[in-house]
Amino acid sequence: MKVNIHLNKRVAVIGAGMTQFRRRILETPQEIAWEASSKALEEAGLELKDIECVVIGSAPDAFDGVNLKGEYLSHGSGGIRKPSSRVFVGGATGVMAAITGWYHVASGMCNTVLVVAEEKMSPARPHPQSVFRYIWDPILEKPLNPNLIWIFAMEMHRYMATYGIKKEEIALVSVKNKRNAANNPYAQLGGNITVDDVLNSEVLVWPVQLLDISPVSDGGAAMVMASEDVARRYSDTPIWVDGVGWTLDNTEWPARDLAYPRYLEFAARMAYKMAGIENPYKELDVIEPYDPFDYKELHHIEGLRIAKRGEAPKLLKEGVFDIDGDIPSSPSGGLLGVGNPIAAAGLMKVISIYWQLKGTAGKMQVKKPVHTGLAQAWGDLMQASTVIIMRN
Amino acid sequence: MSWEKEGKEGSLLKWYDIMEAEKYEYTVGPAGERFFQGLKENKIVGSKCKKCGKVYLPPRIYCEDCFTKIEEYVELKLDDAYLDSFTTIYQNDDGQKLTEPVHIGLLRFKGVNGGLFCYLEGTPKKGGRIRVSNFNYPLRISIE
Repeated sequence: MKVNIHLNKRVAVIGAGMTQFRRRILETPQEIAWEASSKALEEAGLELKDIECVVIGSAPDAFDGVNLKGEYLSHGSGGIRKPSSRVFVGGATGVMAAITGWYHVASGMCNTVLVVAEEKMSPARPHPQSVFRYIWDPILEKPLNPNLIWIFAMEMHRYMATYGIKKEEIALVSVKNKRNAANNPYAQLGGNITVDDVLNSEVLVWPVQLLDISPVSDGGAAMVMASEDVARRYSDTPIWVDGVGWTLDNTEWPARDLAYPRYLEFAARMAYKMAGIENPYKELDVIEPYDPFDYKELHHIEGLRIAKRGEAPKLLKEGVFDIDGDIPSSPSGGLLGVGNPIAAAGLMKVISIYWQLKGTAGKMQVKKPVHTGLAQAWGDLMQASTVIIMRN
Repeated sequence: MSWEKEGKEGSLLKWYDIMEAEKYEYTVGPAGERFFQGLKENKIVGSKCKKCGKVYLPPRIYCEDCFTKIEEYVELKLDDAYLDSFTTIYQNDDGQKLTEPVHIGLLRFKGVNGGLFCYLEGTPKKGGRIRVSNFNYPLRISIE
């Protein structure tokens, strides 16, 4: 049963566009944003002059190496002489940009929004990982020189230990997502690999190995969102945003439960309540959980309450999350297969669900008919989560 | 004011660190490549929107108004160049006096969107013909 939430307008997605995700794209960040934006407008059948507001999502300035990245990207995002804003919640930004676009329309403020996400991870030297060096507490954590790989290795280890999960079971996520990505024309790392390939890949930070982890990517993604009256005028197949949720959990790493993503459970409950979903396992048809690491997809499936704690690997092994399964998960190929230009990767997940529900996902289209889909992202100091639920 | 007082190093608990990536390697993009190739041939290249006719300097691969792709590159004529504004810098970023003041000019072209910051040689003045003495970026220009 849907709860009584007072919104001025019902919101639909009517167009989307993406650039290819690649390691080192020649185009500048502004040009990447423009390519994605112009494709989204084209699919929506709108021109830039029809857009009332622009929302830009981009993660740390230090990736592209330009301070005030929102302002910098607005040129290629169609944001000049319009109310433009930038949202930033780390890795959760991509879905947050879509949520922000949603409330621009749902509030009645405007009828059409262009949501753009861009990230260029390749300029920083020696490696973009160095950008993350300064997100930690400067006194207590920074002296140990944490990086995202060893901090997640710690989380992965706790997750495995708590529920007795083996690396072979987790590696299946990487196998599935890279296989799905082979059908995605925008993907960077699609292909057929085996569990053994993952287990024999280079150990980066135990238990994280090379094929457990998403690549460094550049890329852009954009989406047009509109109020119901506009959506019905321009589209025969508007995809409705029925639920959104976002939450921040404790920002102290040492103080969080590493085995279970509580930050996501709260965000998911908010979105489920809005969408009137009581049993996510039965009611969701297709999902795009955030998967920068393979174990993270399982972690997030549990946080989304689709599987019980520690049981996502079992469902994965049974094929529930395969492209022809009960709840196909990351049919796009996810971050592991498509690539991980942070904010753009999050919005790519939303776009994947939009294309699935619209039935235009091409070779990525899941086998069963789908009516309700969910996309999710995760970030900040790894305690922020954003969830969006859409229906056709 | 407080910032003028001398601090006592070591009297407070402090933690020192730096915060930056070691370096960045940027790409100039397809339009940027045309622009920098042009400079090597002593040409200033802009790009022209075929829909609205607007010319951009530096060149862009898209028109910010029409949002269409731009594929036409045009060489800008120095006859159309003018100095939009200039300034003279007497101190460096650390507040130290420069031995020679530096002039910076904003170079623009009639009928063209955008412009370039250039080093300005000689005495800045209003009007006059622009001469480019060095096409290596950043450009050095003077006014005849």
